[in-house]
Amino acid sequence: MDHMERRVVVPGDVLSEESKRAGEGTYVKDEKVYALLYGIANFREKINVIPLAGKYIPVAGDNVLGTIKDITFSNWIVDINSPYDGLLHISEYPRKIEADDMSKYLRIGSSVMARVKEVDSTMKVELTLNDRRLGQIKTGRVIEISHTRVPRLIGKGGSMISMLKKELCCNIFVGQNGRIWINGSEEDMDLALKTIQLIEKEAHTNGLTDRVVEYIKTEKGGRQGCHISG
Amino acid sequence: MSSVISEIRKDYLYNLMLRGQRADGRAFDQPREISIKTGVIRKAEGSALVTLGDTQVMVGVKMQPGEPFPDSLDRGVIVTNAELVPLASPMFEPGPPNEFGIELARVVDRGVRESGAVDLAGLCITPGEKVWIVFIDIHILDDCGNIMDASSLGAIAALLTTTVPAKKFGLGEDYPLPIKDIPIAMTAVEFGGVVMFDADVDEEAMADTKLTVISRADGTICGVQKSGTGVLSQEQIYRIVDIACENAKGIREKFLEV
Amino acid sequence: MQGNNGNITFIRDGVRLDGRRVDELRPIKIEVGVLSRADGSCYMEMGDNKVVAAVYGPREVHPRHLQEVSRAIVRYRYNMASFSVEERRRPGPDRRSYELSKVSREALEPVILTSYFPRSVIDIFVEVLQADAGTRTAGINAASVALADAGIPMKGLITSCAAGKVDGQVVLDPMKEEDNFGQADLPIAITPWGDITLIQMDGDLSRDEFRQAVELARIGCGKIYEIQRKALLDRYCQMESAAQEA
Repeated sequence: MDHMERRVVVPGDVLSEESKRAGEGTYVKDEKVYALLYGIANFREKINVIPLAGKYIPVAGDNVLGTIKDITFSNWIVDINSPYDGLLHISEYPRKIEADDMSKYLRIGSSVMARVKEVDSTMKVELTLNDRRLGQIKTGRVIEISHTRVPRLIGKGGSMISMLKKELCCNIFVGQNGRIWINGSEEDMDLALKTIQLIEKEAHTNGLTDRVVEYIKTEKGGRQGCHISG
Repeated sequence: MSSVISEIRKDYLYNLMLRGQRADGRAFDQPREISIKTGVIRKAEGSALVTLGDTQVMVGVKMQPGEPFPDSLDRGVIVTNAELVPLASPMFEPGPPNEFGIELARVVDRGVRESGAVDLAGLCITPGEKVWIVFIDIHILDDCGNIMDASSLGAIAALLTTTVPAKKFGLGEDYPLPIKDIPIAMTAVEFGGVVMFDADVDEEAMADTKLTVISRADGTICGVQKSGTGVLSQEQIYRIVDIACENAKGIREKFLEV
Repeated sequence: MQGNNGNITFIRDGVRLDGRRVDELRPIKIEVGVLSRADGSCYMEMGDNKVVAAVYGPREVHPRHLQEVSRAIVRYRYNMASFSVEERRRPGPDRRSYELSKVSREALEPVILTSYFPRSVIDIFVEVLQADAGTRTAGINAASVALADAGIPMKGLITSCAAGKVDGQVVLDPMKEEDNFGQADLPIAITPWGDITLIQMDGDLSRDEFRQAVELARIGCGKIYEIQRKALLDRYCQMESAAQEA
């Protein structure tokens, strides 16, 4: 555990007199660094402000979980839990299909794991399913948390999420947009859901990983290993 | 923004329902927690802030002398209005009340009126000329489902704490608004053959039919409204009516404690 | 403004009708995150004013033709509940609400980084539940906190406060009686670094009094700013301790 300073700040709080320390969620005026957001300021070499809330703004390369909300001539319009809808062009579907058949493959209400392919300056967001890890979701559950908690759910170098997959015996796909897909037995999914909600609620506290491990252990009780579903 | 519910979410809720469960762990006939704060707006003659789960509704009652209706010259007048302000839900838009707001206000009004909750005969000032007008204004603050029941509770709670402002208008001493009954509205939604009371936002979005039943203290029914494009069987309706009237008793007792 | 009311003395021995000194604010209460549907929200009491503000967005613009390719548009809707005033008000906006909505939006927009969110809208809704002179300033204060709560990037919190004139004296934060029968009302809104984003005035002030009033309102804003800031910090502590308990 490093003992960096962290504290709650509101927009306009002065964070530093050295402009070179300005990181994410800050701005510089007259050589001073100010907070741009309400959130937790982490004082390392750079000072970053992690917001406590806010909308997901897509960035190229992000994995996201979306719901088809409309179909046009050659695009599926995908709700990605953002002010900006994603466009999934017919050519980004993993195999060649005819425009007339689009709704046979993905219809309104279908869920997809997609990747943000490109975002232009007017926030036109293009998605793709062209990767074997991407595609439609038909089973399991989707839960929604604030996208600002996603880094905590993934953990440093993916530590939290790999622990969760192992201990919860579920397949978990984390969308950067705060939507998470879990798949496993009903019992395991129930626990996974509660565990992820716990992480969301306590995202900003110290010693979270230990508490989560402890929580899963207690909840599982005598249940050993993974539940084998019939 | 979340105008489309994903099929996965629907399937999840549907499967839960088949197992006899709801996402928040309630029984099908169990309402969310209710809290009622009265006297919250000093400028109103009566007021209440109702929370039903996370749903929040504020109701203010204002009174002023005015002309009676031609067909009831010696009785007071009730005017009910509901504002579904865009602060309360991403689905609400600014502008004059739409059909949902008007339906809500009219159903609440029907409960108050038909139950005889307000003693309108006691609100006559000069027969044929001047009577008290009771304005019930419903302000939705946070729509997390079932604003109908929350509004109806808010209306009667606000009325119960209303003081007739006689002094302000030179009409003698102030006195408490005479209340004779406590109508309670209970709304159920139906989907896939299952009936659930006090639906939250997701459940409301899944269902295409609602039934509101308003009952009096003596267990009789004073108002019913079916809403939505779906259908209900007679048996379903009878069952909703029975549960609504029974459950209303417990809620009514809560009022009498206040 | 109805000029001085001969029947009432508003200030006696430096003390106002409600017991305040001329440079004193009414009691203030701020709660953050009071609504669950909204992206950000704030409830505020300033004396007998009770307002609630909600922020939705950035979100898609409807109708579409209003969207701007390079920035978010900001909308502000000030609305009074029918029961918020002594005489019941007809529901819906009147000319006054439109004007207040416009100047309030313009008071907040200078600190919002709208260029971060092209083609979107940030909607701010303020509902006045009880009015007692100063609803626009209370609304702006609450809206500013709600914007921060919604995670909207902004250069600083906007704070708003009015000064007035009664019995020939400049006073801070006039309440209803002082507003109704006073000689002037001057609301301002201000950034933490002192730029003024809203100023209105009606009534009768000498140029000296005008400067006094602006200065007094500015000092009042400084005090309110600390309460806004503390409400946001407290909100985090509440979430923190709720998490620890669970």
